[in-house]
This record gives sequence, C-alpha cells and structure tokens, in this order.
Amino acid sequence: MKVIQARSIRKVLDHSTLILFAAIVITFGFLSSQFFTFQNLSNILIQSSSLAIIATGMTFVLLTAGIDLSVGSTMFLAGVVSAKMVAWGSPLWLACVTVLLVGTLYGLVNAFFIYRFKIIPFIVTLATFYVGRGFGLFLSETRAMNLPEGFLKIGSVSILGIPFPVLVLGVVILSAHLALSKTQFGRQIYAVGNNAEKARKAGMPVDRILLSVYLICGFCAALGGLVAIAQLGAVSPTFGKQSEFMAIAAAILGGTSLFGGKGNVFPGTLIGAVTIQSIQNGLVIVNANPYLYPLITGAVIFLIVLIDSLRHMQEVKSRRLGASF
Amino acid sequence: MIAQLKEHYQKSDNSILYLCVLYYIVMSFITPGFFSLGNNWNLLFNLMPLVIVSIGQTCVMLTGGIDLSITSTIALSSVVGASFMSSDSGLGFNPSVSTFIGIGVMLVVGAAIGLVNGVAVTKLGMPAFMVTLTTMMFFSGFAVWLTESQNIYNLPDSFLRISSMSMRDVPIPVVAALGVMLIAYFILNTTVIGEWIYAVGLNVKVARISGVNVDGTIISCYVFCGVCAALGAVLYTSRLETGSPIMGQNILLDVIGAVVIGGTSLFGGKGKVKWTLFGVLFISLLDNGLNLIGLSYFLIMIVKGLVILFAAILNVLKERPSLAS
Repeated sequence: MKVIQARSIRKVLDHSTLILFAAIVITFGFLSSQFFTFQNLSNILIQSSSLAIIATGMTFVLLTAGIDLSVGSTMFLAGVVSAKMVAWGSPLWLACVTVLLVGTLYGLVNAFFIYRFKIIPFIVTLATFYVGRGFGLFLSETRAMNLPEGFLKIGSVSILGIPFPVLVLGVVILSAHLALSKTQFGRQIYAVGNNAEKARKAGMPVDRILLSVYLICGFCAALGGLVAIAQLGAVSPTFGKQSEFMAIAAAILGGTSLFGGKGNVFPGTLIGAVTIQSIQNGLVIVNANPYLYPLITGAVIFLIVLIDSLRHMQEVKSRRLGASF
Repeated sequence: MIAQLKEHYQKSDNSILYLCVLYYIVMSFITPGFFSLGNNWNLLFNLMPLVIVSIGQTCVMLTGGIDLSITSTIALSSVVGASFMSSDSGLGFNPSVSTFIGIGVMLVVGAAIGLVNGVAVTKLGMPAFMVTLTTMMFFSGFAVWLTESQNIYNLPDSFLRISSMSMRDVPIPVVAALGVMLIAYFILNTTVIGEWIYAVGLNVKVARISGVNVDGTIISCYVFCGVCAALGAVLYTSRLETGSPIMGQNILLDVIGAVVIGGTSLFGGKGKVKWTLFGVLFISLLDNGLNLIGLSYFLIMIVKGLVILFAAILNVLKERPSLAS
C-alpha cells in the first residue's frame, strides 16, 4: 500500500511542471474567456519565443554545471548594435549577422576566462555582465533607440501561417534538442556536467565542450535579443535587465538542474518559458493590478521549484526504501 | 628585496588590501579632491552599510549558499520601517519611541525574510539560488506594491540623526559596522556555531554524520544575513531621509562581487570576515575614485567589471601559479 502510494506521489511529482502549467492555463481560462482564444494562445507562444531561445542557450550552460549571468547584457548589446548599424544605413541582414557574431564573441570571452584561468563561471559572467551593459549604455548614450519599420515587419511576418518568431524558436529548439539527444557532443555535455573530472579521465575534450556551451549561450542570447526587439520596435536602456534570471528560472522550471548533468531543452525548457509567459499574459488579460505581477510570478516560480525539490527528496527516499528491502 | 616582497605577497592573504592601498596612493596623486577630508568621510559613510550587508552575505556563502534577496530585504525593511515612523502614517507615537519601534520593525522584517529563505533551503531542500531569486522578486514586488512606488518622507529627527550622530567621536554607522564585524568574527572563530558553519560549507554529509545541527546552522546564517541587510537599510534610510521601495537595488552585485573578490569561496567552507572587509573596501574605493575622475556611470560599470575579472585572475594565479604560463 505504502509503495503504491509513494509511486503515485512520484508520478504526480514527475510531471509537476506539466501539471502546474495546465493548472495555470485552466485557472486563467476560467477567469477570462479571452485567455483560451486561439489568438491569445498563439500570442503567448510569440511572446515567449525570445525568452525560450535565451533559456535554450542557458540550458546548455547549466547542463555543464555552469551559469551565465551575462545574457541580459548580451541581449542589450545586440539591440543597441543592431539599432546603431541600421541607423548608419547598413542593410538589415548585415546588422543581424553582425549582432549574432557579437553574441558569439561575447560567449567566447566568457569561455576564454573560464577555461584559460579556471575562474568560476559565476564571477566571469558577473564581470562581463557589468562590461556588456556599460558598453551598451556607452554606445546608446543611455537613450532609448527606435528601430526602423523593417525590424517590426520581421516580428510580425508569417511564413506558411507560422509567425516568424515562432519559426525561429522552432528551429532553435529542434536543433538544440537534436544536438543534445542524438549527437556525441550532446552526450559529452551531460558527461561533463555529471562529473568533469571523470569526463576528462575518459578522454573527453572538456575544455572544448565548455567553450562551445558558452558560445551557444552567447549566440542564443543575441538571437533572443533580436527576436525581442523585432516585436518591441525599440531598445530602452533597461532592455534585457533581469533576463538572465528569467532564463535561468525557465530552464529550472523545465527540470534542468543547477548542479549540471540533468535536464533537457524539449520539452523541459520550452515549457518552462511558456509557463512564465502564460502567467504574465494571463495577469494582463484578467486585468490584475500591475503591482501584483512580480508577487505572483515570484510565488509561482517558488512553488514550482518547491515541487521540484520535493520530487528530488522523494527520489532519494524511495532509493533508500529500495535498498532496505 | 623585490623577491622578498613577492614571496610575502604570495603567502599572505592580504593581497586585496595591498591593492587597495596602492590604488589609494595612486588616486591621491592623480585625482584632485580624492585625498580630501570630505571625500574620506564620504568614502567611509558609503563603506559602512556595504560592509554590514556583505558580512551577512559572507556567512551565508560560508555554508555554500547565496542570498540574492538582500536588495529586496533592504527595500522592504526600508518602506515598512519608514511607514511605522513617518509622521504621515499618523500612528502618533512620540518621535524617539517611534524611532525605536521603526528600527525594531526593520530588523524583524530582515530576520523574517532570512527565516523564510533558511527554512526553504533546509527543510524544503530547495536550491539557495532559486529560493532567494524568487524571494527577491516577491519581496521587492511587495515593497513596491505596499507603497505604490511612492517614497515615504517625514521621518522623525531622532532617526535621521543616526547617520550623523557620534558615539564618543565615532560616527554611529562606523560603530554599527565594527559591531557587526566583531560579532561575526567572534561567532566564526570562537564558538561552536562558527565551527559548524565552516563544517557545513566544507561537506554537508560529513557535518551531518558528525552530529552538526545542519539545518539550524544554515537557518541562523540566513537570518543573520537578513538582519544585516535590515541594519544596512536602517543606515541607508536614515541617510537618504526617505523610505524607498527601490532602495539598494544596485548593490546586489557589488556585495557579491566584494565577498568573492575578498576570497570567500562560492562553494562554501572558505572565507573570513577580514577578507570581506578588504573586498568591500576595494569595490568602494573603485567606485569613489572613478566617480571623482568624472567617468560616466556606464564607463564605471565597464571598469568595475574588468576589475572584478582582474581581481579574480590574480586570486587564481596566486593559488595556482602554474596557470600563468
């Protein structure tokens, strides 16, 4: 009896993110008839595409037990550089390519200090967080910058009925998912995250793997920044602030561990990002007091992390139970 | 001579202090107004609340945790305390009584947030980073919601005098910071709890098996950190003469940067009160000097980031000279 009970608790906990996501959607659906319209659901997906892309990059870093606090600054830098370049008369595609290069370079800088000097990622990316935001503010002269119409068009265009941001998101998620689950590179990322020392002894190129996850994270941050400004049409001096925390929260909600080696992009991180965005979207639709947004978002994330840790404790307990039989 | 100095530098744990002294001397020569009485007072008053908050953070980090919620603790205790004291609130106590009540309330708020963090980390098994991230979102949102993002003015004179009053020629903020440092030093170095804190940080499992009250130790560190943040809030609120829901917003990374630059390990078990003092001194000197040179806000951010990186590299090279080649 006890075992069955424990097993059913575990089943509930195993799918906690999905259940919570469903609970949030159903709650908002009851509170407002507009929430469940196709229009709104596709809106949620469009709005969450930027966060989901950034969180995908963050997932790679978290899988190696690292962390990247600089993604918000990279996003901001991406926005500023693209706005500047377009203002100087460069074609749109060139601006986009440059921005993606800048993001990747930013990841390279992070990775260089982490693997050359063995400084912990937290400190390196804390430093590049400052440098990136400062440099972005310097370039933009701390002013909000409007983007040309062309950018907004990218944000609202649809290809084969699929909105462009969602299409980008789909490509990113799909390639990340395939890279993590089907390639040797993906397996090596998990191995390094589980135990870097053992991975090194097994002959894996640990340094190269660490380098590449930060490159991926920087690239995704720049791409996510582009997708976000294509929807906003402007870059304010606070653009991307706290995005690093939201991206980490989305990845953790999706079941990725802060301690490395555990997690996935699909469905995990995607659901995490969409969950966060659904809360924001739902609160707007039910006309909640704007001051309550951070309170509710914080409380819900707290609840999800709590469930995740209960799941972990349950696992440990059942393992002990199994051992005693 | 130089070789001797080099050897001493590599052996001692005062390297950050030497850097500070060097920086101080250089800046005194090249920056007009740096070595003035007024600026030194200014420096001292900026330093004190930061020292107090960072000491609390050090204790949490010693257990292997982290407290991101300190800024929201500062904001919430500032507005709650201020609304108890303000003559606008119409509670109608006489000024000195309301000062006592206000300070008491502020410290209780800090302790309460610390308790929430500590219990969530220990009893519910949640990762410290996520717990304090969500409590940061929640309580700073709470502070903004309570005040509807208005500042609270008209605090009693007896409270405002705290930042300017002296006790036997020593300003109260200095007394408070010295007090906190002494208490932390005493606890960490001479009591059983201090030994437990280091033991928990070094290895939780071993500590638990050896009979350490792990949960109690961790919870008391978070509570201490919360109280320290609230004490910082008392000084900031008294100095700015307002209770503000965004108070302390920008000091989170300064505090964590200071503690880590000082040499305290993010993984726990290694750190000293003295180191944190040096780290805070370093960050404050840097901020102050760059401000006086007339660098803009964003250039200061860039330099701060680079310096954090530089200090981290120095730290690593000192421990592992082999990486220099």
